[in-house]
Amino acid sequence: MAKITFAICEKSFLIRKGLASVIEKIPDTKIIQQIENAEELIVSANNCEADYLILNKKFTTDPKVKKVLSAFSGTTRFILLVNDNNNKVSGIYYDGIIDVNDTQNFILKKIKEITGKNAVIQKNVIPGEISKREADILKNIALGFSNKEIADKLFISVHTVVTHRKNITRKLGIKTVPGLTIYAIINKLIDIDKAE
Amino acid sequence: MLITKNIKMADVIHMNYFTLSALNRFGIELGFGDKSVEVVCKEYKVDPEFFLEIANTFVNKDYFPKKHLQTFSVKLITDYLQKTHHYYHKVKVPEIELLIENMVESCYTQKDNMVLLKKFFNDYKNELLNHTQREEEVVFPYTIAIENAFLNQNPDESILHMMETYSIDVFENEHDNIEEKLFDLKNIIIKYLPAPKDQRLCNKLLYELFNLEQDLNDHSRIEEKVLVPKIREMEKQIINNFTNR
Ligand SMILES: [Fe+2]
Ligand SMILES: [Fe+2]
Repeated sequence: MAKITFAICEKSFLIRKGLASVIEKIPDTKIIQQIENAEELIVSANNCEADYLILNKKFTTDPKVKKVLSAFSGTTRFILLVNDNNNKVSGIYYDGIIDVNDTQNFILKKIKEITGKNAVIQKNVIPGEISKREADILKNIALGFSNKEIADKLFISVHTVVTHRKNITRKLGIKTVPGLTIYAIINKLIDIDKAE
Repeated sequence: MLITKNIKMADVIHMNYFTLSALNRFGIELGFGDKSVEVVCKEYKVDPEFFLEIANTFVNKDYFPKKHLQTFSVKLITDYLQKTHHYYHKVKVPEIELLIENMVESCYTQKDNMVLLKKFFNDYKNELLNHTQREEEVVFPYTIAIENAFLNQNPDESILHMMETYSIDVFENEHDNIEEKLFDLKNIIIKYLPAPKDQRLCNKLLYELFNLEQDLNDHSRIEEKVLVPKIREMEKQIINNFTNR
């Protein structure tokens, strides 16, 4: 089985090393990159090979960092590192949160939970691509249907459509409807003359 | 390293050639010999202080002296923003269009896809045009009216009516993220456009898209972080002055 890989982005040398040594206690995990500042993080955005990026929440407020975070999203998932009880983070999709004050066992448990859950999800996904259900949704977006119309057509709630849309955008790195439409045509999900 | 007014203008370009596009916007032409930044700016009637701050943001990605930029006049700031719009429409957009056109023409295996890109960018161009037109026709004139009323000891009450129908808050809310579609276009080319394709043209196009995206980002940052707070402060003052009369 391939190893689950992690990158850690954290200013403090001690916290970085400490977290790395805790995570590497889990079998089949590997820390492949340690990032200590925003510049390095920005540089890694387009070529990060880790499955997970453990990212100190403080970086996510830097507008420059925010801008490049979506470049990770094709393959790398986020786990946030916080050191307070205020867990509110907006505008970024993450799989879990680790508090620097958590005990070792708690951190281990959380990491296992996060990676275990995704191991199951990823089975239905063509690597780097979208699931069949998401492809259905995408097709309808490209055909110009609204969230409500898509929900009615596929017998799901609007909320579910919105969640799918978010996931599609995260996986493909495409945010706008015209962009998604081009993706759908290039990948032959819809016919060129059906697109509005 | 920060550029200062005594540095030779030629050295500024050697330091970072991105400053070339700043020079272009200020209307400064090449061929300034060994003259300093200050001397060249004066010759072209460009405020050297303002030029330095803008040039420094081009050279240094992390440099953004928000507070200092807010001290320049609204007229100066909006003039610069307007020149930047002009630069997009007259220089950047045509460059990108030409590259895409070349891609359409030189491609035989996936012409349909290239035509799609062309249409996508064409729609984008119109969106960008609407965005900048709205700013030039509505937003900038409003900000200048506010500055005039602010500087006037005894402003006319008509400014209050103007502020009732429009305010800088309205602009802040309606100001949309014009970079998003460029981001998508980049990703489509990087990740999804199938081979074979002209790699050289793709790279050139990507370079231009990255460049325009960055430039738009810097531009919006001046609108949102410099112009908006500056005008909001002035609006408050104007209202205060009227209530204290
Ligand atoms: Fe603008
Ligand atoms: Fe704008």
